Formats: sequence, C-alpha cells, structure tokens
Amino acid sequence: MGKKIHTDDATPTHLLLQHLAAALILTYIIAVLAFYFLAGEELHLRRSRGELGLPGADSGTVELTAGSVVEQHFSMEIQRLEGVTIQWGTYYRPNSGTVLIELLDLRSGEVVLSQGFDAAGIQEGGLTTMTAEAPIEGLYQAPLLLRVTADSQPGSGVSPLMNTQGQEKGWVLTVNGAAVPGVLCFALSGTDYIWTGLHYWEFAGAGLLLLLLFLAGVWYRCRSGKRSYLVNAVAAVQKYRFLIRQLVARDFKTKYKRSILGMFWSFLNPLLTMCVQYFVFSTIFKSDIPNYAVYLLIGIVSFNFFNEACGMALTSIIGNAGLITKVYMPKYIYPLTRVMSSVVNLGISLLPLVIVTLATGVALRKSVLLMFYFLLCLIVFSLGVGLLLSASMVFFRDTQFLWGVLSMIWMYATPVFYPESILPDWFRQTILTCNPLYHFLKNTRLCILDGISPEPAVYVQCMLMALAALLLGALVFRKTQDRFVLYL
Amino acid sequence: MSKTMIEVSDVSMQFQMNSDRIMSLKEFVTTALRGKLNYERFTALDHVSFTVKKGETLGLIGRNGAGKSTMLKVISGILKPTQGSVICRGNVVPMLELGSGFDMDLTGRENIFLNGAILGYSEEFLDTKYDEIVEFSELGAFIETPIRNYSSGMLARLAFSIATVVKPEILIVDEILSVGDAQFQEKSKKRMLELMGGGTTVLFVSHSIKQVQEMCSHVIWLENGGVKMQGNACEVCAAYDGTG
Repeated sequence: MGKKIHTDDATPTHLLLQHLAAALILTYIIAVLAFYFLAGEELHLRRSRGELGLPGADSGTVELTAGSVVEQHFSMEIQRLEGVTIQWGTYYRPNSGTVLIELLDLRSGEVVLSQGFDAAGIQEGGLTTMTAEAPIEGLYQAPLLLRVTADSQPGSGVSPLMNTQGQEKGWVLTVNGAAVPGVLCFALSGTDYIWTGLHYWEFAGAGLLLLLLFLAGVWYRCRSGKRSYLVNAVAAVQKYRFLIRQLVARDFKTKYKRSILGMFWSFLNPLLTMCVQYFVFSTIFKSDIPNYAVYLLIGIVSFNFFNEACGMALTSIIGNAGLITKVYMPKYIYPLTRVMSSVVNLGISLLPLVIVTLATGVALRKSVLLMFYFLLCLIVFSLGVGLLLSASMVFFRDTQFLWGVLSMIWMYATPVFYPESILPDWFRQTILTCNPLYHFLKNTRLCILDGISPEPAVYVQCMLMALAALLLGALVFRKTQDRFVLYL
Repeated sequence: MSKTMIEVSDVSMQFQMNSDRIMSLKEFVTTALRGKLNYERFTALDHVSFTVKKGETLGLIGRNGAGKSTMLKVISGILKPTQGSVICRGNVVPMLELGSGFDMDLTGRENIFLNGAILGYSEEFLDTKYDEIVEFSELGAFIETPIRNYSSGMLARLAFSIATVVKPEILIVDEILSVGDAQFQEKSKKRMLELMGGGTTVLFVSHSIKQVQEMCSHVIWLENGGVKMQGNACEVCAAYDGTG
C-alpha cells in the first residue's frame, strides 16, 4: 500500500501531555463531585421495579360493615415501601363510617402500617392511599397481609374492588374468612436501593485509578517515542483549532447573512415552531402533559439540533469538494465544524427554553444542570451520525434523499410533540427503547420538568449509545476517507 | 549540502474508472446484479521518482492529462498514492485556484483569515501580516466588502497575496501566474523570485514553456504518467519544444 508521510515540526509533547493529564484528572474529579451533588437522592434510590399497579377492577368484594373483613395475603419485591393504595366502590350512594386499612407483617404478626379513612369521602372508583411517614424497610419478599375493615352500618358501607381474573403465586384473597379467586384492587409504591449508587465513591475511585493507569500508559508510550491516539488527537486539535474556529465562524456568519434579523433567528425559530405546534397540538395532548409548552420546546430544540447537525454534516464533504481536492487537511474537520456550528445554534436556542421554562413557572431544581450531560450525549451521537452520513453521501448521492425520509420517520418515532403514553405497548418496547434520541429526550425532560435525576444506569446507557454511534461513524469515515477525493 | 525537501520514490497512482461513475445506490445494486460492475484501471502516475532540494524551483511540464496535477496532489497529501511513498519535510502551501478557499458571502478581511487558516497559518501570524496582505493585493477599501462583488482579477490578487505572505517551505503553484493585469503579473513574478531566493522550494506547473524556463532551475517532463525526461530547465524545455 502507498504511504504518505508528512513530517511536522515536533510539538513539545511532554508538556502537552502534562497539561492534558492535569486537565483530565481535574475534570474527572469535578465531574464526580458535581454529579454526586446534582444527582442527589436519585443516586441511591430509584422507583422500585417491584411496584404494583392497580389491576383492572371488575367486581366488588363485599359491603364493608362492622364485623366484615377483607384480607389479602401477598408478598412484594420492594425494598422501601412508601404507600399502599386501594380502590373502592360505593354502590353509587353516599356512605358513612370509617374504613381501616392495616398492613401486617405475618412473620411477627405486627401491624406495620395502618390508616383510617372516612367512607363519606370516598368516590365510586376512588382511591385511598396510606402513606408511610418513613419508608418501611425489611418487607422484601416477606409474607404480608393487607386487612380492610370498617365500622359502617349496613346500607352505608363501601366496598373494596377486586379483579376476579387476577392470580399470583402464594396470594390469597379472603372475604370474611372465606377464600375467593381473584385479587384485591390495590397498588404498592416504593423505592429500591441502587447498588452502584451506594458504592458511588468506590466506583469513582476505581474510575480515577483507571484514568491514572491510562495516563501512565500514554506517558510511558510517549517516553519510549511512540505516539498514542490521545496525544495525536490533542495535537491535532491544537494545530487545527484556529481553522476550526474560522470554519465555524464562517458557517455561522453565512447562515444568516443578508437577513435582517440575523442570528436572532436562531433564537426565534424554535420559539415560533413551538408556538405553532403548541397551538395545533395543545387541544389534543395538553391534558396528558403538564407543562406542555416546555415539554414541546425541549423536544423541538433537541430534535432540531439533531436534524440540523446531521443535515449540515451530510453535505459537508461534497459541499467542500473545491477545498478537499486542493488543500490537504484532515477531512473529519469538515463534518466536525458543521456539527460545532449547530452546537452554537443549540446554545442560542436554549435561551427561549430558559425563558419559557421560567415564564410557565416550572420549579427549577439543581437537577436542571444534569440536562447538559444528556445534551452532550446528543451532540456526540449527532457527530457520529453526521460522520456516517457525510462519508456515505460521497459514494451515494441518494443518501440525502434517503436521509430526508429517514429523519422524518425518526421525528415521528420520537416523542417530540406527543406524550409517549399514546404509543402502543409493542412500539414502546421495541422501537422506542432502541431509539437513542428518545432516551436523551426523556431524560432531559426528567431533569427539567420533574426536577429529578434519572437512575445512575441511565447515564451509562446514554453515553454508551452516543459513543457507539460515534465509533461507528468514525470507523466508516476513516476507512473511506482516502477514496473521497476520487468521487468528488 | 542542501537538504532534500521532497522525496518522491516510486510513486504510482491508479484510478478505478467504471465506464460511467455510479452515483446512486440503486444504480450500484442494479449494475452489480447485472454483473456489469467492471472497473477499468487508469494509471495516472507510473513509477515516478524524483527528489527536490531546498530552494530549488521544480517545473512540471507535459501535455494535458500527463499527470502533472495528480503529481502535485500526491505531494500535497490530497491523494494517497496506490504505491510508493512521498516524504515532505516542511509545510506545503498550495496556491489555490481562483477562490476555491473563499466564501463569496464574506468580506475580503474575513476571507483572509478563513483562507489563511485553511493554508495552516496561525492566528497571531495573520494578525501581524494582515496589513501586508491587504497592501500587496492592492484592494484598498474593497477589503471590507463581500468578495462576491470582486472581479476575477481582484480575487486572484487576494489569493496570491494570502498564499505568498508566509515564507512557505514548499509552495505549489498550478497555473496561477497568468492572473491579474500585466502590472500585477510582474509584481507576483517578482514575489515568487523573492521567495525562491529566501529558500522556499517551489513546485511549478505551467503550459507556458517560456515561463517555466524563466522561473525554474530544474524541470521534469511527464508523459502518460511516466517521467519522459528530467534535468536542467533549458535542455528539457528545448526537447519538449522540439516535439511540438
């Protein structure tokens, strides 16, 4: 194979490496600390996977009067039980009296949680929830008994609802002491400990150790005269920093050149799109989604960035054909600068997001800052897709039309403007879980709208998806870049 | 004693040419299915070897399609040779053809920085040399207007001024000295000679034998991808002229 060697003036590699190592270690430590602070409680606890939803009610059990009792034997896989909910039927009449709900631990026979409710306040199909003051621990997989009693007079008692079809192993529903088939309509909520979260500092320490080992390896290679990828990459960034900045500035200047509002459009565009879509869709989805305006805007800003970055990167190689065939520079610079100018745009379009978020009165919590992690994932992911597209475009000009259709499909397959709850289950389980954009979007919304951090595994999952895309894009690009010039 | 700047050893460049270039997936699949995906091999460079020493001006001459531009592209790193290797000791600055590194919507000033960055200049360097570039290009107040309003002569002057402001170690000139009016041509020729005197190695491609003879110390005559003759400028040019 042919070889091409350019001997560059040697950069002071050792110095560069020292700075780089210091910067990396410092960044790592800051990131670890910041994450610990920002993630808060969600680092240790997550909604339990053993939570129980209400089964569909299809029958009443019995009118609860003084002396009658409904008991459900069950067990659960929740580490920290927080609440028990029961669904009621009222026979469509006003009722009176007090119902008493008790949760017993059958190992000791103790009542661990109990609460009384006024029967008069219960609606048909309504719910009563007893909430533990502090989450109850130690009930994981223990035999439990939920007992419901009341002191109502006959004719004014309510009835806990049941599902006659439901059955679980080891569960028994008894009505006044007699076992009946089916389960009581009750739900359980609680949280579980996250093993990785509990061992956060151990993980962080291990990460630091790995980083140090890696840097030591690079240092050693460098000392023995070999160049490593890391050093090469950083040297390239240093060398081409000015060029990259110029190209980004060019993209940005020419984008709105000769328009009166100029870069104000970057700000205005997402806002106007949001207004239109809000107007169109608010009657359909508004009731399902609290803070629909913000929900929508997060979707628009994120997806617009993805679409723009990929669309611009797509044409980056063929659009710069004139340069590529005349000047030598690393070709990845072209898609990279296009994605970077889209990042600048993204930065500007975050402004309307901030404004709308504040204006609609979303309570901002510290977890908002975690959104930038998912934006970073989105950027890395877009870069990967952009590299792939730009390389593909050189060989097959059909790519641009194909991408037009594909990006449209992608938009509709991502809950940008609709709630994910309207999707059928099979779709959510297959396509949605495979869609990285959905994950980035969902977690960005979680950080802003719900003010909580997703569980730790989600961070790893999102970064892995983004890096996988980048790796694929970079590999394809690297493999094909020498042949670009022949097809331009 | 003088250092070898460019070392071209046994370089071959082959292109795969299918009869009509396939540009779409559908075409690719259908032709592949029909078994008509036959490539023709076209050899643009055939085992070319030469070296260029520091401060030399090497002329490349030959008919259209002899491989001159391909050779320059291989040297500047744009094309990867199929075989053989090229070693360049120093930064290569290609003098761009009219406006290829320019953005028509930007002003002359912005283009100086953009184009300078593309040619690998540093920011500090451009800052200090900015006035010199403007002065040499003779653009004056036009430097602040978008270059889509420039005439082709003005564009060429700007391009030339940017490319030669630095003392590149290796300068590649592909048919560019024929731009601008007579006065600017004279001025640019002077600049070229100045650069050569300052130790810049120049690779020069032109169809004008007179110009090559005037500027170059050493000439390589390419024909059908191979070196037909190389040596002293006068001898090679005379031989080339002789064949008509």
